[in-house]
Amino acid sequence: MRRQNRMGYLFMSPWILGFLLFTLFPFVATIGLSFSSVNATIRGYEITFTGWENYITAFFKNVEFVPALIEFVMMLVPYTFMIVVVSFVVAYFLNRIKRGRTLFRTIFFLPVIIMSGPVMWQILDSQTVINGVALPDDFSGLFLFNILESYSPMFSNMLSGVFRQLSTILWFTGIPIVLFINGMQKINPSMYEAARIDSANEWQILWKITMPQIRPIALISAIFAIAQLSTYNIVAVYTLIRTATANMSNGLGYAATYAWIYSLVVLMMIGICFLIFRAPRDREVPLP
Amino acid sequence: MRKPTGTFKRNTGRRITSAVIYFILICISFVYLEPVFRVISKTFMSAADVIDPAVDWLPKASSLDNLKIAARVLNLKTSLLNSLWFSSLLAAAQTLVSALTGYALSRYEFRFKRFWFMMILLAFVVPLPVLMVPRLMMFISFQEAAGIKMIGTALPQVAMALLGQGVYSTVLILIFYNFFNMIPRVLDEAAMIDGASPIQVFYHVVVRLSLTTVLVVFLFSFVWNWNETYVTGTLVAGTIELLPGKLNLFDQQFENLISASGSAFRLNEAYKMAATFISILPLILLYLLVQKQFIQGIENTGITGE
Repeated sequence: MRRQNRMGYLFMSPWILGFLLFTLFPFVATIGLSFSSVNATIRGYEITFTGWENYITAFFKNVEFVPALIEFVMMLVPYTFMIVVVSFVVAYFLNRIKRGRTLFRTIFFLPVIIMSGPVMWQILDSQTVINGVALPDDFSGLFLFNILESYSPMFSNMLSGVFRQLSTILWFTGIPIVLFINGMQKINPSMYEAARIDSANEWQILWKITMPQIRPIALISAIFAIAQLSTYNIVAVYTLIRTATANMSNGLGYAATYAWIYSLVVLMMIGICFLIFRAPRDREVPLP
Repeated sequence: MRKPTGTFKRNTGRRITSAVIYFILICISFVYLEPVFRVISKTFMSAADVIDPAVDWLPKASSLDNLKIAARVLNLKTSLLNSLWFSSLLAAAQTLVSALTGYALSRYEFRFKRFWFMMILLAFVVPLPVLMVPRLMMFISFQEAAGIKMIGTALPQVAMALLGQGVYSTVLILIFYNFFNMIPRVLDEAAMIDGASPIQVFYHVVVRLSLTTVLVVFLFSFVWNWNETYVTGTLVAGTIELLPGKLNLFDQQFENLISASGSAFRLNEAYKMAATFISILPLILLYLLVQKQFIQGIENTGITGE
């Protein structure tokens, strides 16, 4: 047992060391830095505790931060929802066809390989602007959108954003699709058989068996999507953090505050996903 | 008489369903690939074609001029070579550490194993910006204390990759962990009885049996390091010319380079798309070669298993 312990830690040691040094320590340090003013001088960093100063600046004095944060949340929520739904639907369909499955999977996985911040930026830029003229929005003229707009402009904005950037959203579904397909193939076929014997139709089987069984994977996909979207550096908050990092007079303090608020939002979103996708306690389906 | 009509009905029903499914899948595939198609079609358009509203997908007069100019602005030879060695180096470091960590988790029962496993999963969801400020300060302080140039070199990222904190390390560890779990333990024990040390068992038995997995992890890490620009942008800060970094600054550099040379070129879509095309081409070629392994790699993470 002691030998097991020692060898286990021997193999784990690089990762543990890295985790303490490059993840845990920075994480804690950022919290500290967000409450202080950091000045880069010739002799090193001058860190002085300033209390809530940076937070007050972030929320009340900086005019760009709060809008950028709201914009990020308004992107994150519909994107994550769409990514989970679309990848579930595509995986469900792919599971039902016999020929061409590999070809489709190859297509859907391609974005995982080529997607990067600059590439996305160039593609999005060319979508919205041609020769310096912004393209008119095709969707906002639709009657349905006008109805929605009059009820809730926020919702209609979110929806038209989703449609306008459908390709971009789809590009995040590569890995979730593979996860969903894999999960669907692991569902015990005898459950489907039993349902068919009880004369359930495909629609009922989808809602009563496939969906509840796939719930944990939906959670993983949602978390994956949020993690990917939050490192997707087209987000305006990123630009703010980066410019603050480059600023030598207390830029780092502000950057830490922005980054910390941003991360809190991201972690909260992940927490909400846990709440949405957690198994209902009272009528939990026993796993086969 | 009734039975055959029944089966006939069911068969046509099934055929219609599958036709609808294929139709939907083909539509979705088109939406997926549309940006790539557009990049490729714009790449070969002349300046006149870009403005011409009649030209939608197929350029009237295709030319390679855009590619040539984009390659010049991107400083293609240098930045391509740099990107290649930079990503390979980080990928090699990440592969090594992920293999070691995956092996420890799969083969040894050490104390607090569940805790460390949780930490590995948690490390995945911590957003990078929250870590970057102290990391940057650490590297700058170290640089000044030790007198070794860190910022603007690959060193900080190599250090992080070697200690398992590179891009998506968690996914790579999980791929190894699940693959190692599939290798029978009897093999380890046999080697142990023959007097092999744990490190010999790791290298000669387990790694030798999982060479494909090593390759898959390396390729994933390669691709992700290639595409990563936030950490690289902060720590390397453009000192090493990398392809995605150059693409990021393409608009600006185009103006600088071309207007300095006094020629009449103006920045347009075609040049931008040509540059994008150049920077994704190596990845697409790689994907065409080993697409099956890539997809299987994600299937083997086993995150869907539990």
